[in-house]
Amino acid sequence: MHKSTLYLLLVFSTLLLVPLVFAQKVNDFPKKTDPLHIKVNMFDKLIRGNHWNEGTIMQHVIFPPAGLDRPIIGSQADCLDNTAEMLAAYSYKYALTNNPNDRDFANQLFDGLLKLETVTGIPGLIARSFNKTDKPLWHEKVLWYPMEWHWSTSMKGYRWLGDLSADKFTSLFYTVGIFWELCADYEYKQKAAELLDRFLGRIIDNNFKLTDLDGKMTLWGNFCPNLPHQSLNSLEMLMALKVTYRITGKERYNAAYHMLIDRYHYDDHQLQSKILWPDEWKNPWDDDHAAKSLYMLMRYEDDRSLLIKYRMNLNRHWYDWQNHDFTFVGDVWLIILYQLLTGEDVLTEKRIQGIKDMWGFDRRKSEFKIPTEDGYKIVESEEEGSATAMIRNYWFGRYCGLIDPSW
Amino acid sequence: MKTLLIFLSVCVTATMAGEPQNVHHAPPKGMVFVPAGNFIMGSKYGDPDEKPQHIADTKAYFIDKYEVSNSEYAEFNPDFTYPKEKENNSVIVTWEQAKAYAVWVGKRLPTEKEWEKAARGTDGRIFPWGNTYDNTFVVWDLRYPRGSAIAKPESPYGCFDMAGSVWEWTADWYKPYPGNDIPMEQYGEQYKVMRGGSNFCNYSFLRTTHRYYIPPNTTGRYPVGFRCVKDIE
Repeated sequence: MHKSTLYLLLVFSTLLLVPLVFAQKVNDFPKKTDPLHIKVNMFDKLIRGNHWNEGTIMQHVIFPPAGLDRPIIGSQADCLDNTAEMLAAYSYKYALTNNPNDRDFANQLFDGLLKLETVTGIPGLIARSFNKTDKPLWHEKVLWYPMEWHWSTSMKGYRWLGDLSADKFTSLFYTVGIFWELCADYEYKQKAAELLDRFLGRIIDNNFKLTDLDGKMTLWGNFCPNLPHQSLNSLEMLMALKVTYRITGKERYNAAYHMLIDRYHYDDHQLQSKILWPDEWKNPWDDDHAAKSLYMLMRYEDDRSLLIKYRMNLNRHWYDWQNHDFTFVGDVWLIILYQLLTGEDVLTEKRIQGIKDMWGFDRRKSEFKIPTEDGYKIVESEEEGSATAMIRNYWFGRYCGLIDPSW
Repeated sequence: MKTLLIFLSVCVTATMAGEPQNVHHAPPKGMVFVPAGNFIMGSKYGDPDEKPQHIADTKAYFIDKYEVSNSEYAEFNPDFTYPKEKENNSVIVTWEQAKAYAVWVGKRLPTEKEWEKAARGTDGRIFPWGNTYDNTFVVWDLRYPRGSAIAKPESPYGCFDMAGSVWEWTADWYKPYPGNDIPMEQYGEQYKVMRGGSNFCNYSFLRTTHRYYIPPNTTGRYPVGFRCVKDIE
C-alpha cells in the first residue's frame, strides 16, 4: 500500500475512534412525555453508567475534552448526598423486589461509603468525595475550597475532599438507617452499625463537633451544646443519635440523646429548624435534611411528648411546603414524606402530575475555565447533573404505595 | 469561677492602666477609637487553636467602623471592577491586596489581638453584640451592602459587621497562642489568619474568637475582605 494512502487511512481511523474514546458510556435519554417508570429506568442507567466512581455516585460529571481524557467529577462537594440517595433508592427498591441484583448494587454503594472513610486514613473521618489520580485535578482549584483536597495516606494514588458538612452527616445517617432497615443482610448490618459507631463516636468524643483532618470543626459541622448552632443541627444530631442507638444498641447513644434533651433542650431548639421569614433565607437543602431527620425520628421515637415536638417541627415546615410548586424534584420527596408521616391525604391531582413529570437532568454544553501554569484556558465540554433525587423519590413513593407502578 | 477571675483581672488592669493612653481620641472619619488595656482573648469551647482563654493587651488604636467597600478599594486600584449596585458591598481580596490598600491609605491591617478586642470588648462575649445569635444580627447575604443587618448591632466600640458579611484578614501568621501545645501542622508562616466568619458557614464561625487560616495570595473561594487600623501618634 502506498505510504500516503496508509497515512490517510490512519488519520481516518483515528477520526472515527476519537468520538468512541470520548463518548460517554450511556447516551440514551428518555423523552419528557415518557411514563414515569420509563424515565426513572433510563436515568438509572445514565447514573450507573456515567456517574459511578468506585462505589460512589458523582453529582456532577464533566466529559472530555475538559482537561482529561476521561470523565471527571465536577463540583464534588455533595457526592455523598447523591450516593446516599442512590443507596436509599435501592434499599426501598430491594424491599419491594427482593431481587438479589438490587441488593448487590446497594451493597456496592455502601462499600463506596466505607471507602469515603478508608481514604481519609482516620477511623470515623469521612470524606465528601475522592478521586483516583496521580496529580491534583484542575477542578480542585476552581470548584470548591482548594485547601480541602488532601492526598490519601491510606490509599496510594487517591485524593480526597474534606470539610464534611451537617448535610452530608444527615444523608449518611438517613441512608445507612434505611439500608440497615430494609436491605442489608447480617454481614452488612454489622458493617453499617460499625460505620455509624465510628463516625458518631468520633463526633461525640469531640463534644458533638464534626472535626476535620486539622482538628478544627468543619465549616458546617457544629452540633456542639456549648456553641451556638443552627436549630436544624439540633434536630439532625437527635436523629443521628436515635438511628445509631437503634442500629448499634449501644447505650452511649441513647444516653447522649437524652442528655442533649434534658440538659441542653435540643428538643425545644429543634422546633425552629424551619426558617419561615424572610423568603430569601429559606433554603431547599435545609428542607431536604430536615425531612430526612424527621422521617427517621418520627418513626423511631415512641415518647409522646417528644413526638409532639417533632410533629410541631413538621407542621412548621408544612406551612411553607404546602405552597411549593413541583418545579423542583426535591418537593416530591417532601410531599410524599408528609403524607406518610401524618396520614393526611395531600396528593392532589396537581401534585400527582408533579410526581409524574419528575425529570433527572439534561446534558448540556458549558465552557470551563481550566487553570494552566501561565493563566487559564477556556474549553467547551459536556456536563451532566444528577438524577439520584428523582430515583430515590420514585422508589420511596413506590415503597410507600403512593406511586403507582403504571405511572 | 476561672472566667470570673479573668474578668475581674481585666477590670482591675483596665482601671490601673492609667489615663494617658486611655484618653479618648477623636477618631478619623469612618473609624472608631479602641482604648489601651487588657481584654479576654480566646475561648474554652471553640477549636483547639482558640485555647487557652487568656488575658491579652493592646495599645490604643483606631479601627474602621465598616469593612472596606468595593468603591473604596477601586479608588486604590482603578483596574478593580465590580457591579455598580455593589459599590457599598464589602470588597473581596487577597491578603496581599488588602495590605497594599492599607499602606496606600495610611493605615495597616489589624493584628489578631486588635481585631478580637474591637469585636468583643473586654467582657469576653461570644459575639460582638452579646452571647445569643439571630440571623437578623448579620449581613446574611453578600448581595446586600455593609451594615445592612436588620438589627444593625454594633460591637462595644462601634464597629459593624464583625460577625458575618465577609471574613476579615488580619496581619498575623497562623500561630498557636502562648501556652497552647496542641500540635497543628498548619502553624507557622504559611497561612494568614482570617476572622469573623462570612455568610457561608455555621454560626459558631461568627464568634469573635474563631480563627481560620488561608494562604495570603488567595481567597481560596472564601469571601474574605478586611478593615484597617491606624496607630495613635
